[in-house]
Amino acid sequence: MSDHHAQAKSSGCGGLCGGKCGSTIQDGVIKNNPIIHQVLGVCSALAVTSKLENALVMGAALVFVTAMSNAFVSLLRHLMPRRIRMIVEVAIIATFVIIFDQFLKAFYWDMSKQLGPYVGLIITNCIVMGRAEAFATQNPPLLSIVDGAANGIGYMIILALIAVFRELLGAGTLLGYTALSTAWYEPNVLLMLAPGAFFTAGFLIWIINALRGRKDV
Amino acid sequence: MKNAVQTLIFAAVLGMASSTLLVTASLFTAPYQKANQKAEEIRNYLAALDAPVPENASAADLIAIFDRTIRQVERNGLECFEYRPDGADAPQAVAVAFAGPGVWGPIEGVMALEPDMETIRGIRFFKQEETPGLGSEISADFFLNRFKAKQIISSDGTPGFRVRKPGEAKGSNEVDGITAATMTSDRVGKMLDTLAKRIRED
Repeated sequence: MSDHHAQAKSSGCGGLCGGKCGSTIQDGVIKNNPIIHQVLGVCSALAVTSKLENALVMGAALVFVTAMSNAFVSLLRHLMPRRIRMIVEVAIIATFVIIFDQFLKAFYWDMSKQLGPYVGLIITNCIVMGRAEAFATQNPPLLSIVDGAANGIGYMIILALIAVFRELLGAGTLLGYTALSTAWYEPNVLLMLAPGAFFTAGFLIWIINALRGRKDV
Repeated sequence: MKNAVQTLIFAAVLGMASSTLLVTASLFTAPYQKANQKAEEIRNYLAALDAPVPENASAADLIAIFDRTIRQVERNGLECFEYRPDGADAPQAVAVAFAGPGVWGPIEGVMALEPDMETIRGIRFFKQEETPGLGSEISADFFLNRFKAKQIISSDGTPGFRVRKPGEAKGSNEVDGITAATMTSDRVGKMLDTLAKRIRED
């Protein structure tokens, strides 16, 4: 019964991804969310979530980089000499991160100024390397792209949640527009600081795990 | 041995492929990036000088205004940008660039003075990598507006400038720093103090 169900659900792109498309997306975005469950990529999640706009762009960057690097690592997985595979993975990841950074600097100058060094630091984001090593080296390219994008989206959703909370209560704005007027609302500066992000992320992980009744940690 | 050769070839090919990609990306985006940087600097100079700029002015418009109204001169070994709006004979304001270390990277900016060379007309920071949401707020209007009509000499005439702890600025050459960005505030203060002394040095 459950097998039929799973097959029916993933039949949309099942032909191309060997029927694993749906479950891969679910894994990346929800079940095995990189921040909530794997607790990876937390550094940037704390650093760029003081504004919702920054969080969304950072999320988009991660979707692009993880999907592209997964694709290429997967394409090269049979050719790649095992001894240097980590270096190869980092080289591929770095290439796409720099391309994204250059693109931001050319066409989204203001955003690039705000994110500063954090775009470049995606190279060291454990989610990207983790997906390349754990998934792309063992799966076909299309499915690897799906996995990379799903993990990127999972990352983006959590960043956006943290950023909404922090920007709203820490600055009284959302996407730069005033949401809570300073006439009656005193912004909580602690939320704009790194510890504020830490508390927010911690509470978010707690709440989500409690809601799901997850016990096997 | 065969494995080692294979590894070397693989690494070389991969390195060449990714550097080709990077060079292409960089060549393609370089003109846009340069234009952005140039326009950004000019926008900041004009803003500090309080020069009227049409809304949504393009990079080319900004460069045209800059070339028409601003003349670069040297005064006492100091690079100055004199602002003469259309029709004015004497400079209406003078801008001086400054730079110094920030918390995460260099800070560069420009300060505009009234013709008396004592009163601040405006200030902008056009390059900085301070902490987003905290130190980077030095580029926000609320902080920049604190400098308007301040002086780069104290009431007894000594050149200098201070960024004080929030709420403690009293003198004519002091402004409040930014809450939760003490390190950035201190560094900006030091930079402007040096600048004030250099400008007032005869």
